[in-house]
Amino acid sequence: MPIDITMPRLSDTMEKGTIIKWHVAAGDEVTAGDVLADVETDKATMEMQSFDDGTVEQISVAEGEAVDVGTVVAILLEEDEEPGSQPETPSSPAAAPSQPVEAAPAAADPAPAAAPAAAVQTRSGHLRITPVARRLAEEHGVDPSTLVGSGPAGRIVKRDVLAAVGAGAETRSSVPPSAAPAPMTPTSATTSAPASVPAPQVIQATPVSEDQSQLQVIAVPGALQSFEQPLTGMRQTIAARLVESSQTIPHYQVSMALDVEPLLALRKSLNEQLAGTGSKISVNDLLVRACALAMYANPLMNASWGGESIVYHGAVNIGVAVALPDERGGGLVVATIRDADRKSIRVISAETRALSEKARTRGLTVEEMADSTFTISNLGMFGITDFTAIINPPNSAILAVGSALEKPVVRNGELVVGHEMTVTLSNDHRVVDGATAAKYLVSLREIIENPAQILV
Amino acid sequence: MSRTIEFRDALREAMSDEMRKDPKVFLIGEEVAQYDGAYKVSRGMLDEFGPSRIIDTPISETGFAGLGIGAAMMGLRPIVEFMSWSFSLVAADQILNNAPKMLYMSGGQFQVPIVFRGNDGAGGQLGSTHSWCVESLYANVPGLKIVIPSDPYDAKGLLTAAIRDPDPVFCLESERMLSMTGEVPEEAYELPIGKAVIRRPGTDCTVVSFGRPVHFCMAAAEILAKEGIDIEVIDGRSVKPLDIDTIAESVRRTNSCVVVDQSWSFASVGSEVAAEVHRVCFDDLDNHVHRVHSDDVPAPYAHNLEAEMLPNERKICEAVRSVTYNA
Repeated sequence: MPIDITMPRLSDTMEKGTIIKWHVAAGDEVTAGDVLADVETDKATMEMQSFDDGTVEQISVAEGEAVDVGTVVAILLEEDEEPGSQPETPSSPAAAPSQPVEAAPAAADPAPAAAPAAAVQTRSGHLRITPVARRLAEEHGVDPSTLVGSGPAGRIVKRDVLAAVGAGAETRSSVPPSAAPAPMTPTSATTSAPASVPAPQVIQATPVSEDQSQLQVIAVPGALQSFEQPLTGMRQTIAARLVESSQTIPHYQVSMALDVEPLLALRKSLNEQLAGTGSKISVNDLLVRACALAMYANPLMNASWGGESIVYHGAVNIGVAVALPDERGGGLVVATIRDADRKSIRVISAETRALSEKARTRGLTVEEMADSTFTISNLGMFGITDFTAIINPPNSAILAVGSALEKPVVRNGELVVGHEMTVTLSNDHRVVDGATAAKYLVSLREIIENPAQILV
Repeated sequence: MSRTIEFRDALREAMSDEMRKDPKVFLIGEEVAQYDGAYKVSRGMLDEFGPSRIIDTPISETGFAGLGIGAAMMGLRPIVEFMSWSFSLVAADQILNNAPKMLYMSGGQFQVPIVFRGNDGAGGQLGSTHSWCVESLYANVPGLKIVIPSDPYDAKGLLTAAIRDPDPVFCLESERMLSMTGEVPEEAYELPIGKAVIRRPGTDCTVVSFGRPVHFCMAAAEILAKEGIDIEVIDGRSVKPLDIDTIAESVRRTNSCVVVDQSWSFASVGSEVAAEVHRVCFDDLDNHVHRVHSDDVPAPYAHNLEAEMLPNERKICEAVRSVTYNA
């Protein structure tokens, strides 16, 4: 009997679990106690272990997906069980569908349906291939990634390469992964072929190389390559958290164009006075404090959805989204400026700069990213006029800040050149209604357009 | 001129030939003289060489092993017979602590040209304490050599080489093979210690073994041949030094390897061969080296259980099928 592996209840209050990462793939053998996946619960990320020995037949829930406790997340075959005894489930996210395989440049032939294409890759993304098979493939100019392995868990073994060489790379191994009962059939092919490891030069003159050259004629080298990049831990966290936020929080947005002429003038003046001190105030620094101060009149904007209650926070901790450089794998983190309403602009500026620098070079500690009550995401430096952001839970709102643009504005009945910045507030409608969000933006505008109060 | 003789006769011929040629060679052990040997290996030797060179001892392995080592240090070439290698355990201090280290510890002053020989492995319902395979245990010690003949021809050639060797050589025989017959030349000859031989050429899998299990491998080869799997059987002949070159040459052709070793698996001859094959043949392997050992239990007394505990044909076949992806 195939064994259903279900989402376990890993804490008393757990109702749903999110598969953060699968540690096994279809075709992998597991023994009781092996870690199958990392599961994020309402409390923590925990390991989901196998209670049985067997082979993973199917993964039913994709990484990042949250499912109810008790939902079947994978199916395990016991020893000696044939795969396929379970009806096919259409959504098998972990197993690569046949479409991408056919689209692969070297795959001129359809992949045998019996062999799961995903089994060729180990969970670390490496090709599962024996050393001699790899060497023979290299010698004969066969791209091993086009082969389907007949060994355990789809391992590509010598006979798979020799079969591809013998057939001019037109047919893949005819040996299905579990042709156990009749060893004679696969063996006869095996035993005749490798009688002597063929000299590479001789074989390279066979039709294989012709096929290769044809492929090379057709192939136009492109600037981009198709490949799969295994997820970094950060990418998994971003994916999991934002999917959760986007799916569970009823988002809506309100936007407002702010006249930032006075703010820019203030910044210019401040920086002139601070010249030589090492301090340099950014628009964002001023925004951080402005957003914090605007909470005083709108405390609900600083609150969180508590399920059974609205949780108001006494501290105003402003999260600042920091993009990480591509060399370090990209991604973003949110650095927390604690008590931003009670800190001077110079302190906020210094803290933001220090945390951003640390995030980009060494990474932030959990402490440095925790406890934000409101978040600012600023893409103004890229010339973005306006955009919407996804709320950073447990915040109830996030402010998306666009660029300060020169615009024709009407001032005192006259058309003049002014600076406008569009800010878009994404809100959790469970906590913040539209009027509340609008009032907050009005408060924020009042502060931004009369920026001296940011300094006191 | 060769004729067909028993394994035990081949051993005796090696000893007698060397004793005739070299007056420094003598044989000492329990019942080797008046009783003609517990297993009749030394039959007639007392008559030919007399009691000063064919010496009966009390049941005191530590004593006569030490006596042999002392004699070797002083220039004689003793052959010390253990009725069973199981009994050599009580002489461990002599054979492991003194004989192999003396040359080193004496700064090269005392060579120890000694042979220890006797029956090794499950002899057939001898029980846990008398069924020892000592090769893995002893091969761990530097300064000694271990040969394991698997037929009469090798028995004579390897024992002759052992007697002539300037260092301690352990010759591991088997009471299950003493009556085995084979073609053996009348004249004296030497088989080089540390050189393996291919018993059966094959293309699909290299099966390496030593001593009696070589015959299990040959039987398994017949079964596997009927399934279309053609194995190459290598008889290591020497455990130490190990002829990794011959093994590697074969593995480079077959791309897979099974080691069949009658000792227990942990830190064994089998694990050593596997480690070496992985080291020198990594890029030639189509699977990790598989090992077949005696089960990790004391040898059972019951006949059927003892047969099941050993690295038998069935286990060898299973390992070969698995390593060649035919399981």
